[in-house]
Amino acid sequence: MTGTFFFLFGLAMYFAVIPWQVETGESGHLAPDTIPNAVAITVSLCGMLLMIRTTDQVSRTPANFLRTVFYVAVLAGSHYAMSLFGFMYVSPVLALVLMLMIGERRPVWIIAGAIGMPALIWFFVAQVLERGLP
Amino acid sequence: MAGFGDAFSLVNLAFVLFGVVVGQFVGAVPGIGPVMAMAIAIPFTFGLDPLPAIAFLVGVNKGGLVGGAVPAVLMNTPGTPDAAATALDGYPLAQQGKPLKATKMALFASITGDTFSDIVLITVSAPLAVLALTMGPVEIVALMIFTFSVLTGLMGRSLLKGVISAALGLLFAAIGVDPENSTPRLLFGMWDLYDGLPLVSVAIGMLAISEILRRLSRSKGVVKPAVEIDATGKPEDSRVSFAEYWSCRFTMLRGAAIGTVLGAIPGIGSTAAAFMSYAFAKASSKNPESFGKGNIKGIAAAESANSAVVGANLIPLLTLGIPGSVGAALIISAFMIHGLQPGPLLFQEQGRLVYGLFGAMVLANVINLCVGQLGLRLWVKVVSAPESVIFSSALLLCIVGVSMATGGLFGVGVMLVFAVIGYLMSSFGYSVIIFIIAFFLGPRFEISISQMLALTNSEPPQIVNYPVALALLLLSLLSFIWFWFRNKKAEAELKD
Repeated sequence: MTGTFFFLFGLAMYFAVIPWQVETGESGHLAPDTIPNAVAITVSLCGMLLMIRTTDQVSRTPANFLRTVFYVAVLAGSHYAMSLFGFMYVSPVLALVLMLMIGERRPVWIIAGAIGMPALIWFFVAQVLERGLP
Repeated sequence: MAGFGDAFSLVNLAFVLFGVVVGQFVGAVPGIGPVMAMAIAIPFTFGLDPLPAIAFLVGVNKGGLVGGAVPAVLMNTPGTPDAAATALDGYPLAQQGKPLKATKMALFASITGDTFSDIVLITVSAPLAVLALTMGPVEIVALMIFTFSVLTGLMGRSLLKGVISAALGLLFAAIGVDPENSTPRLLFGMWDLYDGLPLVSVAIGMLAISEILRRLSRSKGVVKPAVEIDATGKPEDSRVSFAEYWSCRFTMLRGAAIGTVLGAIPGIGSTAAAFMSYAFAKASSKNPESFGKGNIKGIAAAESANSAVVGANLIPLLTLGIPGSVGAALIISAFMIHGLQPGPLLFQEQGRLVYGLFGAMVLANVINLCVGQLGLRLWVKVVSAPESVIFSSALLLCIVGVSMATGGLFGVGVMLVFAVIGYLMSSFGYSVIIFIIAFFLGPRFEISISQMLALTNSEPPQIVNYPVALALLLLSLLSFIWFWFRNKKAEAELKD
């Protein structure tokens, strides 16, 4: 499966993306698109060989992938929320959601993770290091 | 020697101590380990001077290896992959009611192996750097091709997947401005990418966040219970006597030598060294059937070898600028954050810092021993810390750290994208370590090719005038063919 993906990815890079996204240069011994093109060809060729010769893969169940998609969505959402409200307000909510998703229900640990840790980060970064939080 | 003395200032001493404590602590937590701890800690060293910052990271790395043995011994769950071989005899010994004897043997063997490889590093790296300085762009290109061929062959079971990982690393390294013409490449209208993808975001995303995602995806909403550890209570079962330590001296020296040799070769890693040393110890023992049942020589063999890799990994990094492992790649990011370029010139331009680093490594070994002696009982408690708190805290620290290092949320976004890429790559058997090393070497590889073309008037056959480069290219081809046949043989054996 990944062989097909990389075969098509390499072709798409070589024929569409690199010509569109790499400007040509006049001087020098190496054109700006030489290395990206060489890499795209290598990826495509290896992908083609992988299509012919399948290799063993690390098994991941669909449930694992779905859980990962969910965690990634939470992280992406919190990244967007941080751009609007800032780390100070989003981090306790993010920590709380993650801990609940992992299955933590003990109040002491929830308080430590969702309030204690963001507070510690704020103290260390904003107060001790005097750096801005995102 | 002034540089060596710099390491022993009070400030550096404090940072090494802090690094070792943090390293032993996180190493003892299954699922974090020194690599993730280093990845998280790097951005926080931004405001420090280079020596305390790098000394701190060295402390984290060394402390992490000692701490990693604790869950391996107590839970048969290595805190780091390096400690997997330690669990073979450490866990049975703990089951016999001797958990402290097992963890202390791991500590002593780890310090012995580490000190051995540090001595080798200190003695050979300067002469090797002088030799490396005589290399021109043609030899550097050939050396990098050789490095890629070894990395792709050694990491993972598929050579093709290794080549794709390296190619992807080079492709992502091409994002930004072309080094010769200064024309933008693959920016997709995002001018934040003008200087290229930030190494810190890529490394932390692919190593720390993708690992957290992998662990979270396996969690099924059940909080793991704390570990119960039974001990006999006899004093002789809670310590390692000098006679016991001395009986393992040859095992530890052999392990340290194996770890040092393998560590100096990019890509092999400490896990392979630990298992190889363990196999040698078992094969040369008069009582091989006692291995796997709580033999302290098994612990000594594994720990001395995996710890010896740490110092030796810095040999290619400091002499050639080529990271031999992911830990070394992270130390490179720390160098770069502080405006330093690892490689042979570092000895000329920052000699005092390099010897300061050596001093910090020696210091870290002594502190590792002291903290380990005092802290092992405490780290035994740490193994039962809930992963809900650990992973959520690690995520917050990664976000803040990357934001500090890259100057905003764009770097955090890049980190999340590479976390997904890293997760998918490792899910399908592609090495993220090869990717990161290729990503780091990419810009230098391109500049060296350009210089090589200038030297040879763009005529590749002229390479015959460079015998070292020619030999390296031939070695690359031979190693590539050897790895190809070795992998084919391994696949055939697996099918049988």
